Amino acid sequence: MNDFGGATVSVDPITVEVIGSALSSIVEEMGEALIRASYSTNIKERRDCSTALFDLAGTTLCQAEHIPVHLGSFLDLIANITKRHPIEQMRPGDVFCGNDAYEGGGTHLPDIVLAEPIFVDGAIVAWAVNLAHHADFADRGHAHIYQEGLRIPPIRLYRAGELQTDVMELILLNCQVPRERLSDFRAQMAANRLGVQRFQGLCGKYGRETVLAAGAALQDYAERKMRAGIAAIPDGVYRFADRYDCPEIDGELDMSVEITITGDSMHLHFDAPKQVRAGLNMTMTATLSTVYYAIKSIVDPTILPNAGLARPLSVTAPEGTIVNCVHPAAVNGRLGPCQRVVDLIYGALADAVPDRVTAASNGACTSITFVGHQPSDNRIWVYLETIGGGFGARTGKDGLDGVHVHMTNTSNLPVEALEVEYPLTLMRYELVDGSGGAGQFRGGMGLRRVYRANHDCRVRIDTARLLSRPWGLFGGEPGGNADVVLHGGAVPFNHGNGGLRPGECIEVVTAGSGGYGPPARRDPAAVRRDVAEGSITKERAAELYG
Amino acid sequence: MAWRIGVDSGGTFTDVCLFDDATGQVAVWKVSSTPADPSLGIGQGVAEGIERVGTTAAAVGYFGHGTTVGTNALIQHRGVKTGLITTDGFRDLLEIGRQKRPDLYDQHVEKPPTLVSRDLRLEVAERLRPDGSVETPLDQEAFRAAVRRLRDAGVKAVAVCFLYSFAHTDHETIAARILAEEFPEAFACVSHAVAPEFREFERLSTTVVNAYLGPVMEGYIQRLGRRLTEIGIASRPHLTQSNGGVIGFDQAARLPVRTVLSGPSTGVVGAQRIGELVGIPDLITFDMGGTSTDVALLAGGKCRLASEATVHGYPIKAPMLDIHTVGAGGGSIAFIDNGGLLKVGPRSAGADPGPVCYGRGNTEATVTDANVVLGTLNPDFLLGGRMAVHRDLAVAAIDRLAGPLGMDRMATAQGIISVVTANMARAIRVISVQKGHDPRDYMLIAFGGAGPLHAARLARELDIGRVLIPRNPGILCAMGLLLTDLRADFAVTRLATLAPAALDPMRAAFVALDAQADAWFAEEHIAPADRRVTRTVDMRYAGQNYELPIALPDGPIGPATLDALAAAFAAAHHRAYGFVAETDPVQLVTFRMEAAGVVPKASFVPQPDAGPDASAAIDGERQVWMPEAGGFVTCPVYQRDRLRAGNRVAGPAIIEQMDATTVVLPAMVAVVEPYSHIILEPDGQS
Repeated sequence: MNDFGGATVSVDPITVEVIGSALSSIVEEMGEALIRASYSTNIKERRDCSTALFDLAGTTLCQAEHIPVHLGSFLDLIANITKRHPIEQMRPGDVFCGNDAYEGGGTHLPDIVLAEPIFVDGAIVAWAVNLAHHADFADRGHAHIYQEGLRIPPIRLYRAGELQTDVMELILLNCQVPRERLSDFRAQMAANRLGVQRFQGLCGKYGRETVLAAGAALQDYAERKMRAGIAAIPDGVYRFADRYDCPEIDGELDMSVEITITGDSMHLHFDAPKQVRAGLNMTMTATLSTVYYAIKSIVDPTILPNAGLARPLSVTAPEGTIVNCVHPAAVNGRLGPCQRVVDLIYGALADAVPDRVTAASNGACTSITFVGHQPSDNRIWVYLETIGGGFGARTGKDGLDGVHVHMTNTSNLPVEALEVEYPLTLMRYELVDGSGGAGQFRGGMGLRRVYRANHDCRVRIDTARLLSRPWGLFGGEPGGNADVVLHGGAVPFNHGNGGLRPGECIEVVTAGSGGYGPPARRDPAAVRRDVAEGSITKERAAELYG
Repeated sequence: MAWRIGVDSGGTFTDVCLFDDATGQVAVWKVSSTPADPSLGIGQGVAEGIERVGTTAAAVGYFGHGTTVGTNALIQHRGVKTGLITTDGFRDLLEIGRQKRPDLYDQHVEKPPTLVSRDLRLEVAERLRPDGSVETPLDQEAFRAAVRRLRDAGVKAVAVCFLYSFAHTDHETIAARILAEEFPEAFACVSHAVAPEFREFERLSTTVVNAYLGPVMEGYIQRLGRRLTEIGIASRPHLTQSNGGVIGFDQAARLPVRTVLSGPSTGVVGAQRIGELVGIPDLITFDMGGTSTDVALLAGGKCRLASEATVHGYPIKAPMLDIHTVGAGGGSIAFIDNGGLLKVGPRSAGADPGPVCYGRGNTEATVTDANVVLGTLNPDFLLGGRMAVHRDLAVAAIDRLAGPLGMDRMATAQGIISVVTANMARAIRVISVQKGHDPRDYMLIAFGGAGPLHAARLARELDIGRVLIPRNPGILCAMGLLLTDLRADFAVTRLATLAPAALDPMRAAFVALDAQADAWFAEEHIAPADRRVTRTVDMRYAGQNYELPIALPDGPIGPATLDALAAAFAAAHHRAYGFVAETDPVQLVTFRMEAAGVVPKASFVPQPDAGPDASAAIDGERQVWMPEAGGFVTCPVYQRDRLRAGNRVAGPAIIEQMDATTVVLPAMVAVVEPYSHIILEPDGQS
């Protein structure tokens, strides 16, 4: 049947490398097609999407370098599809669509996945998959997942190349901006179509057994590199604890990790409070994708992003907690806690590999969502964007100012695109003075973004580190915390939700990041530059650095 | 007015190519570059070249030039102290960019340095709405004060970028006027004059790079212009742009950002023409000079042209050939890193002092020194005898590395070659394998002074079967200058929905572009019969942000034009993405005009087959270290000038010519094809 799993074709190292690079090119090209064909600002400019190729067993052959957290939506995807749909009933041109956190392997509902089996010589050999964050399902509740949007188990959106219009209509009726959704679905189709063609072309050139054998060899290679990297870290048990806060909840949640390194393998155990009636719970796949990202970045950033790198890692977390939630926990804002999980891992391994980790970064994926009615035709508009912040200081280097960190890496939207599409004016977009934690190496600065509403709209703001500050390492000071300030008489928000009237402004300040090493050791020339460039005041510099 | 001259000035050598329109005679001349002021070396090379072919400067009808002055200043951050003035609230955008970190997984990668430090980034009150209406008028006094502040801070260049200026230029136009009044000595540029396209960060970045490089290029071009006048060359000089076409010096001085890939693009054009001539359209170009190496991929004879690219970390909106550069060449210095490993480059000994073997005071071994020690390069002289080589100095330098490495002299020298070859292979993978092209399907075309020396081993490393060594590999870039048309690109962004109402703005846009093109044609003295224009419209569905370029049908713009554009767009969109959104409105975004002035180009004649026997070209023999053959082997040394079409040279062998040395490895054969280019291939193949 379709079983090439035991293929024993031997492939020379040059061919493995060429095929590996071809797989990377295919997923990158898929991503370009998705971005270029799409209509929604979240995809076409902010690039909040990911593409990948999976083997028949549902393990990653290659993931494009887009958004690390999206891997979470892919990890159990193929298994969830084949659980409902027997492989022998699949035909070329079938396309499966899904987003559910509990039935589809997703991590939150806006991330809708399209998966298409790739047929070669009449049999499925691999899968082309992509994910687009559909900026929809806005202004909803987050007490449980039923409030958060339409749940879609993996179902056929296309059957043998035919669009299932009933399914599409059902989905679109549940969306606030159906025209954008439809066009983004088309862009997703364009991406998979390209992936299928290119993969088939690759099989045509090298033979499918060779391609699959090279895929397996690449996974083995990733595993070997991961094991070698872990083996170089001293054996031991490493622990770290931190707290998480966000506008949606009152107070802070305690989170912790215990990492055990034994030879060339690593075990991570997380602990956190019981899942909450708020959209910040992480499914286990979200936790896993976070761990894979963090460990790869510490151990060896060059390891190929395929399933092989996960083999030396084992991860546990108690069920029903915010780091391993169960039905029906709400999950929309899971990215914030994901960022904190990375900080936990970095904090735990700081003593073991001080030159590989960074001080705490801004610890959030600050996002802001606007919903309103277009004055011209009363249609609903939804605008979502995310804002970067400080990136932790490192050994020998200052942190980066105003960038996205860890589990996300989406672009900002050009002002000249934002204001054309939405009744908003961006008043300021700048680095926040003094927000980089002092240290021998200074933490990165956070960002300030000030929006003015030109018409009535609803707003939801999600960020973190409002109550705590990103920690420094080895004597470095913490970075500045996040803040949300309303101007022009706007009514105070309730747990991150509120409204703006024409002329009112919301100012979002994201956290900076921690410094690295004691401030007293900072190069005086660097301090002078900080003062000249205004990233720190003269008085504060005198106080900190003497 | 018979002679045409092409000059390519690299970090190490300046190449002069002279072509006689009347007789088809090609002559080449090579001199050391003068990095402190490259125009010195150029002046000298041109004067010598003219004298050598026995003509006069007055007989020179065309002067084309490719330069690395701009790109080197950008790589080495040797641009001028630059100030920036932006719309209030947006001075940090230059540093924030698109808020993405430089590497997804590697936490230790740095962003490229911001070209304007934060204290020199000033804001002024002014704000336009997206439709161009004024929300906040430009505070002219504040702008004037900002200019003075920058002047007092000692900046040499000022960039200005306001929101929406790509479509509504009023505020930037006022800004340009005030700049000229307050600070006339500064190199000033406003964003709509540099890259009138939407997306403020990319426009800002392009404008800042232009300002940062402006005074460097301006000064260089002025010095070079003066020197050419002194020599007596009366024809207007031209400079290659990053798109492979050439423009006049005046325009190049205003828009240096368009010439950042000037040097490398000429080599690609030259390779392209050779590929056409010998009928090989799929080529990987390998241009290895003294300081850096440029590689590009030609599929079906064409190199991909990007309208925007990130060059040395900085987004630039300008048409550019897709060329990848690495900082390693013949002059790259070998050293032992803190982990005890042998590394090569990116530091280069350049032209001065140059490799150790030049005897000009450098003591750190370079790739060239390794080649001299190995015997692959002539141990006595280079440049056809004009430059003496001190082999003893090279040997001593290699020995200084060999000691700490615990290796012997020859293994160390060969190790330097292996490291460099691996670096080059990685560069070629970036433009081939990483873009889905298998290098084994391509022929390598090796040029630049050091290309033919390393090509055979590089091809083996990449499993590439055949290598083409052009007749004059060391001056192919200079030659490329004599093979390219004059070319300029004009564009204007004017958003309109594809409907009858778009006809007027479209006509107006093309009338304006026509006027720009005509002015350019006149400036370049291009006769009407030699003028070519290509008009395209970038189109998309309303809602998309990426456009597809659609050719505008010839003839007057009328209702039929709209139908033709609609049909062509639908077809192109279906080809690219597999769907057509029939009911969605289509937008016209950017109107473009490519203007080309057809110039006579150097032409070549095939030579009669002289048979395989190459013995008449043998000029001697020397001991060359070839690990492939287990150590030193006696290699015949051939003179390239005496090789004839049809000749075959079996490896191991060395082929020398004034501007390059070709290594033929064991089990390899070099065949001279009818246009006198050499093709290296595994022995026993053809």
